Amino acid sequence: MQSSAAILIVDDHDGFRAFARVMLEADGFTVTEAATGAEATEAARTVRPGLVLLDIGLPDFDGFEVARRLAGQAGGPVIVLTSTREASDYGARITSSPAAGFLPKDQLSGAALRRFLARAPTGEGRT
Amino acid sequence: MNRALRAALAAGATAAVGCFVWSSWLPNSQYAPVEISFAVVGLSFMVAGIAAWQRWPASRLGLLFTIIGYLWNPAFSGCNASCPANVLLIGNGSRSAWNTLGTIAALVGLVITGIVLTLIVRHWRSARGWSRRAMIPLLWIAPAVGAENILTGSLFHFPALVTYALLPLLLLAGPVLFVISTVRARTAGGALGTAIVDLEPGASPGRLRDALARALGDSTLQLAFQQPGGAGHLDTLGQAVDRSVAPIAGSGGTVLVYDEGLELEPQLVKLTAAAASMALEHTRLQAEVQAQLEQVRASRARLVEAGDAERRRLERDLHDGAQQRLVTLSLALGMARDRAAGADPELEALIDSAGKEAREALTELRELARGIHPAVLTETGLTGAVQALVERSPVAATITAVPDERFPAAIEATAYFVVSEALANVAKHAMADGAQVTIRRRRPGRLVVEVSDDGAGGARPEGSGLRGLADRVASVGGVLRVDSPPGGGTRLEADIPCP
Repeated sequence: MQSSAAILIVDDHDGFRAFARVMLEADGFTVTEAATGAEATEAARTVRPGLVLLDIGLPDFDGFEVARRLAGQAGGPVIVLTSTREASDYGARITSSPAAGFLPKDQLSGAALRRFLARAPTGEGRT
Repeated sequence: MNRALRAALAAGATAAVGCFVWSSWLPNSQYAPVEISFAVVGLSFMVAGIAAWQRWPASRLGLLFTIIGYLWNPAFSGCNASCPANVLLIGNGSRSAWNTLGTIAALVGLVITGIVLTLIVRHWRSARGWSRRAMIPLLWIAPAVGAENILTGSLFHFPALVTYALLPLLLLAGPVLFVISTVRARTAGGALGTAIVDLEPGASPGRLRDALARALGDSTLQLAFQQPGGAGHLDTLGQAVDRSVAPIAGSGGTVLVYDEGLELEPQLVKLTAAAASMALEHTRLQAEVQAQLEQVRASRARLVEAGDAERRRLERDLHDGAQQRLVTLSLALGMARDRAAGADPELEALIDSAGKEAREALTELRELARGIHPAVLTETGLTGAVQALVERSPVAATITAVPDERFPAAIEATAYFVVSEALANVAKHAMADGAQVTIRRRRPGRLVVEVSDDGAGGARPEGSGLRGLADRVASVGGVLRVDSPPGGGTRLEADIPCP
């Protein structure tokens, strides 16, 4: 059952995942964590999150590759790429990826994620 | 030739010359000019023969010429009548004695001709190069001597013009050719020096061989190399060498293989070997210098690559460490501020201020990391990285072309720093309204990075910034060119080799 309130946080930094979980759960989201690209694709299949907050720098695949794999899934989640770097550091790779957009890590908030969910086309990120 | 023989020959030649001078002394002489010319022919054979024998002791040519000269003068330097005598003191006798002498001389001449022709046939079959050319005087003189005997030896009678005018000229060719051979040997020595001087630096042994062969006129000249174990020599085709060889000093067993005709010129062979030794040594030194230069280039490239790798690692460490912590801190402060909102305005303001500080620190750290190594270059290559530079440029800049392909990291980093430094200079010094960036493959194997502006020009290539950039470009084997006439804008071009 896919839910707009379910968030999958994909990041290899334990500290960031832990803090993001606290912040987003306080905002009413249900949070699942993954530390690698492989874990992310598996969790997305089982948890069916409405949104995936996807760090670009991962130890196995980079965020762009994970986004491509997740986008291939039927009724896939809204994918939001994130990084401590700025969007300009990735050039056109962000706009050419299937992700809905990019959110710098220091600007993470429940409100910001809801805006991505609200912009998502019908059927994407929802049951 | 030993000293006694040399003295005897010299004395004979001197006597013949003296006799000739005395005989042809006008107040005493009854010679006709044509007879004087015959005497000159004989003397020329004698002198040329002695000189050739002295110069080329191993050759039979000198000996033969000497014999011809000595036999000639007794026969034809006689006075016929009143002058003192020829060298053998015969010829002042009766006409019949003179005729008999002429017949004998003709027969002796024919025998000599036969001997010479036999020698020619035997040697011509085996001789090559220098050997054959050394036989040219023989080729000439053999039929000439035979013809002379037939024409003047009382066996036949020909018109006086043929007998006394044309024949001496014909016969003079032999000694003249000897002189030419001598001069040619000396000229070969000079040509050898010229060939070595003209040989380009670092020439291959093959080119050296060609130059030496041309200078010596010996197309068979070869360089050969000692076989392992010292058992003979192999030429460049791997064939065993069975000809004359001369060692080349300091070449590790390399030898010159030359035509046997050159054995007549041992000094020339020594000179050739010495020249080859110098040329090979020069080539070896050139190769050493080239190898050292390549080592320095490779070392510099490795240093730059190591520096780039270290910068990438440093940027990655900042990204994974300090930046992550500042992000978390910033988020935590934001959350703390939200929770304190309304309850304690002073605390809220304090936390808000701390959050701003954290975000500014994060921004500064991002800039620092970007300056250390642009992540966008690693992520997207030149396309995204140059686009990012152009977007951040304070002066309006446009991209004309950037190849949409990835290059080796060192090439990408160099091209990126060229554009980055050039745009920074445009912003700081050029007073320009706009700039253009072009990166393209000009031809296979070259990447050309060009940044131009419409500013004031007058950039100094020797300035520390551009000099450092030139060093950076040179580290990957490239060249930086700066064209910056005062008032005419600046055009900076880096020509970089790339696969």
